[in-house]
Amino acid sequence: MTAASASGYRTGLVDLARGQVSREIFVNDAIYAQEQERLFARAWLFVGHESQIPNPGDFFVSGMGEESVILCRDRAGKIHVFLNSCRHRGMKVCRYDEGNTAVFTCPYHGWSYGTDGRLAGVPYFREAYHSRLDRAQWGLVEVAQLCNYKGAIFATWDPAAPSFAEYLGDFARYLDLTLETWEGDDSGVEVLGGIQKWIIPCNWKFPAENFCGDSYHNISHRSVDIVGIGPSGSGRRDMREREMARRLQVAFYERGHQTGIYLLPQGVSTPPAYAHSPIVAEYFANCEEQRRRRKGEWGRVIGSPGELFPNTALHPRQPRTIAVWHPRGAHRTECWRWYFVDKAAPQEVKDFLRDYYIRYSGPAGMTEQDDMENWNYAHAASRGVIARRFPYSYEQGQGFEVDNYEWDGLRIPGTVMDITEAKSSEHNLRNLYRRWAEFMQADSWDELATWRRTDRDIVRAAE
Amino acid sequence: MSDIVNTRALTPGTQIVLVDGAVAEIVSNPLDGVWVFARYLSSPVDPAVVGTEEMIFAQDIAEIRSSA
Repeated sequence: MTAASASGYRTGLVDLARGQVSREIFVNDAIYAQEQERLFARAWLFVGHESQIPNPGDFFVSGMGEESVILCRDRAGKIHVFLNSCRHRGMKVCRYDEGNTAVFTCPYHGWSYGTDGRLAGVPYFREAYHSRLDRAQWGLVEVAQLCNYKGAIFATWDPAAPSFAEYLGDFARYLDLTLETWEGDDSGVEVLGGIQKWIIPCNWKFPAENFCGDSYHNISHRSVDIVGIGPSGSGRRDMREREMARRLQVAFYERGHQTGIYLLPQGVSTPPAYAHSPIVAEYFANCEEQRRRRKGEWGRVIGSPGELFPNTALHPRQPRTIAVWHPRGAHRTECWRWYFVDKAAPQEVKDFLRDYYIRYSGPAGMTEQDDMENWNYAHAASRGVIARRFPYSYEQGQGFEVDNYEWDGLRIPGTVMDITEAKSSEHNLRNLYRRWAEFMQADSWDELATWRRTDRDIVRAAE
Repeated sequence: MSDIVNTRALTPGTQIVLVDGAVAEIVSNPLDGVWVFARYLSSPVDPAVVGTEEMIFAQDIAEIRSSA
């Protein structure tokens, strides 16, 4: 690897053959600027959850990359995501975090938009514009594609991007571990409490890679484990599945998504949890029983942290939460965290989980504080011209990954690293940077949607 | 000259006089301080608009004719 460069992305910065990634991709402002176009303007991004906007006129101001966006439900009940910027001079048309409204009115010159994005009000339309402005052309900018996936709203600015289902591929089964109810059905989860938002002085990829399944950093959380903030009074989570399950890292090479999971042996029930509250413990025991019945063998899979490419972190179990790492410059990340709970859960369960979630995650959560400190100082110590010359190591477990992984009668989709004995691997982290580099290099979705190319090749071969 | 009308305080049923002499009745108020939805009761400039509903810009409101 070469010394720091003022120029932007170039091949070789992500060198997976050697298991190395240049610090430049974290601290280089030119690369950061390119990411906005190459990644955030093309990828599918998490915007919010339908439970945040249950009624017509409800809105929630979110973000996609650096852009402020409005997630809203129009008068007819349809969900939209709009760029939060007036078409006239760019002023934000909504400066509240959330609420209900009939219109989004720009405070600068007064252009006003309906909740369907239509430009409804133009001051002095007859007098100053002589009724000649084509209002139909000047509505709010809407995302190119939107998908309501099990209540979670994802969107992309790119009309050429594949559908969200195609973008997910078989990773959908792992995303479901966060978005379905604990019983494993679609009857509904809801956002619990408000959205936590805070800023960390580090590049957005530090938290992103951490949630890909970096279990190597568990030593950082040792003090939390000693304190015993977990819902059964010890550790930081209930982790008894570790005693009997296979511990796996699962990566989707063509998509850039990855997650950790635990795979229980056949016929073994999910270990009891939430021992600090008999009501909560009983609720989850019942949910697990239902889930096993509903999902069959797949019910043996227990979720663990993961990352939907590029910047949506999944935490399916304890706590159940999604985080988005909003880029705010190469050296700053705005973190947003949503917490989920079954809509139908008893209030005692919701209250218990809220207390536990706050203890664990977010700016005041004991576990996340450890992480923030690591990312903050790692980033700061990587910015100097000398530091930039030395790449990070991602060699852990390289070459030990397996396709078509199967254990005790269950095939696991994705490329799998079994870390039950190894305890840790950087398999999933490498996958994040593999896909990141592909996005930085590819000019079109024809290049990025490699699974389509494979399909075409198969057809061509058959012919 | 009339006092400046506080648009946010206009409630449905309130009748307002516009700067072109039209009279309209508030139908709803989005409370953005900029617009109200109103139905025209009369319009010396354009009688065709009477009975229609429109968004009325705050600076086009001259005064309150009668409260709701």
